[in-house]
Amino acid sequence: MRIAVRGIGIAGGFGCGVDQLRQAIVARESAPQYVALKADHQDLEMPVFLCDTTPIEKFISKRALRRVDHYSRMAALGSCLALEDAGRQPQDAQHLAVVVASGYGSTRTTFSFLDSVFSDGDACASPTMFSNSVHNAAAAHISILLNARGPNLTVSQFEMSVSSALFTACRWLQDKHVDAVLFGSVDEYCSVLGYSWQRFFGQAPAAGMQPLELENQSAVAGEGAAFFLLTRDEGDKPPYGYVTDIKFGRAQRSGPEISENSLLILGADGHKTSGIHYARFIPARNQTAVYTPLYGSFPTGSAFDMAIAALSIKESNIFATPKHAGDHSGLNIVRTEQSLDSKQISCLKFGCNGEFGMITLVGA
Amino acid sequence: MNSTPTVAVSGIGCLCAAGMNMQACMQSITGNGCAPQPPTRFSSDHAVAYPVFEVPQQYSFGGAARNSDTLLTADFALTATLEALADAGLSRADLQDKRVGVCIGTTVGSAMNNEDFYWQYRQGRHPDMKAVTRFLNSNPAQVIGQEFGLTGPCQTVVNACSSGTDAIGLGSSWVRSGICDIVLAGGADELCRVTYNGFISLMITDESHCKPFDAERKGLNLGEGAAILVLESDDLCRRRQHPRRAVMLGYGSACDAYHLTAPAPDGRGLKAAIATALAACEKSVDDVAFVNAHGTGTPNNDRVESRVLNELLPGVPFLSTKGYTGHTLGAAGAIEAAFTVACLEEGKIPTSAGFANKDRELPAHPVQHETAVSGAVAISQSLAFGGNNAAVIFGKGTH
Repeated sequence: MRIAVRGIGIAGGFGCGVDQLRQAIVARESAPQYVALKADHQDLEMPVFLCDTTPIEKFISKRALRRVDHYSRMAALGSCLALEDAGRQPQDAQHLAVVVASGYGSTRTTFSFLDSVFSDGDACASPTMFSNSVHNAAAAHISILLNARGPNLTVSQFEMSVSSALFTACRWLQDKHVDAVLFGSVDEYCSVLGYSWQRFFGQAPAAGMQPLELENQSAVAGEGAAFFLLTRDEGDKPPYGYVTDIKFGRAQRSGPEISENSLLILGADGHKTSGIHYARFIPARNQTAVYTPLYGSFPTGSAFDMAIAALSIKESNIFATPKHAGDHSGLNIVRTEQSLDSKQISCLKFGCNGEFGMITLVGA
Repeated sequence: MNSTPTVAVSGIGCLCAAGMNMQACMQSITGNGCAPQPPTRFSSDHAVAYPVFEVPQQYSFGGAARNSDTLLTADFALTATLEALADAGLSRADLQDKRVGVCIGTTVGSAMNNEDFYWQYRQGRHPDMKAVTRFLNSNPAQVIGQEFGLTGPCQTVVNACSSGTDAIGLGSSWVRSGICDIVLAGGADELCRVTYNGFISLMITDESHCKPFDAERKGLNLGEGAAILVLESDDLCRRRQHPRRAVMLGYGSACDAYHLTAPAPDGRGLKAAIATALAACEKSVDDVAFVNAHGTGTPNNDRVESRVLNELLPGVPFLSTKGYTGHTLGAAGAIEAAFTVACLEEGKIPTSAGFANKDRELPAHPVQHETAVSGAVAISQSLAFGGNNAAVIFGKGTH
């Protein structure tokens, strides 16, 4: 399989676009915002990597966006940025397929819909909120805003959403079902998610996110969208290389097969339930990096790792792992920037039950 | 996709208001069917008790107590899977040495919308977190994959009302391309107050039994259930000497890019989906025995479908089965695909329940009586929120 990566559109807690992502990578840090949260009669402040969608107004009119919620705005922003980065005009999108991965869907609007019922009764439920609360609302808005009339798919598989959805995007291209796919991920933070985190995990540690302390809980919530314009190998040199493999499985006695030549980007995001699987199955021989402290923890974060992998391929460079990510993993962690040489990059994500997805990219 | 008919449908499982298994469902839809009733698992303060098609309360998961750690949607999916595997003559052990994928469509089964939890949260109380863990335990494809220890591709499709059709189409491509020997594909969904209130708020819900394609149609009735098809490489099916019930021939999908909840009036996405599916299997209009239409009973949906069927498949008999099952959302495409295969086997389609009076505005009308059908293939199609359209084509299963 050789699926060309032609453009990246990304927005998250670090900012918006590939340049701001790169700045955060080079700075080796990114700061979350603090949001107010009420839990068990306590007023708390919770760190969250929030995504600002204001830049979307560069691409789409306010009028067209007026009934588009935050979840779908993030996805639309990612889509427009990916097309721009690939040098495509939005009007070229008519034959595009759209494939979106989301772990939790449009949670804010889902709960706002329930607010409309609780506040005013069943008969006053909001039809606008209901129609925007479905998981495929983001993919639908993308297709409407860009007039993309190809196949349209949304996949929701929690932490495995990205690898599962990318699998179908690549299959469609390999089967020549479509010529280009706008593939991406989106997940949003909402107050109910914040409350649930407090109940399950307690307060985020003052030291911040330390995903390489694999058996400790240090996750900081995040949100955002990462999109890619994908095509078949057209014989040229795509700027971000190729997706060459997607593996799935469930770690039981053995973990995923990892090539000796792979730089690993781990999706470890400060959750100890999944961290233990990285601790158990990652070979110390492989150079390994983790970038989740730049964007936070959410189910579709592995699309952000895929974007960093693609950027690494473009620059033929292995970026250093962020500062303060942790020191006790026992893994061969990339601490300084260095040349990628001919390595392939595998983005590996474990779910809390040991299920895994691994996306491999190579340069031209 | 290529046109080689190498994907066998070797087993089917189905449950919905029409019946607790595939055989009971077919007896119901070829018999008297059943009528929707006001919901029994939840209440509402609407002035009208909008009727729904509920799975009967005596439902039990595989004959055992229901698993309270998962949503009902996941139980429905597992129950249909067990029936489908039995129909396919496959045991749990048989799956272990094969490449088996899972592709399931749903809507409610992937949504964190527990009202009791959220109400308590809003009140500043201390809600039981079991509602959240139950949601996290209930991703339908993941539940099936874990239950049977499967390590192949696992995908929960959330394309609203076309999810089940898309899941079957996608799953078939995994078999056709050689990635999987077997794919358990279908859809599952449960009734809940959130979707109930949501569809009523959109004013597309009928206060009485739905009437797809009828002049007096006023909207849909919600339903629930699941259907799973065992999609298997034809080579494997032959080696096992297991009869195939059908072959999965083609799949097409396309987006209207028009409106979040209304289909494009010209039906452009549906036309593209049908055309793609027909082209994928190199079949023409003359080959099509019948179409199992989406036929929700909403004015917009039925108008567009009638126009498209009249234009692309003139004279081909069609029906809606939602008058027997209600609109089961993410399960609908799968349940209707199961019915399509069964009707193709039997060489006849039942009357399109709820259709009595022709709408003069519609250029094509569904069958009003049980109708014998000829032709080698049949189409099942779905339209969905977001402008999604999907069509799958099945051929007769005889080797």
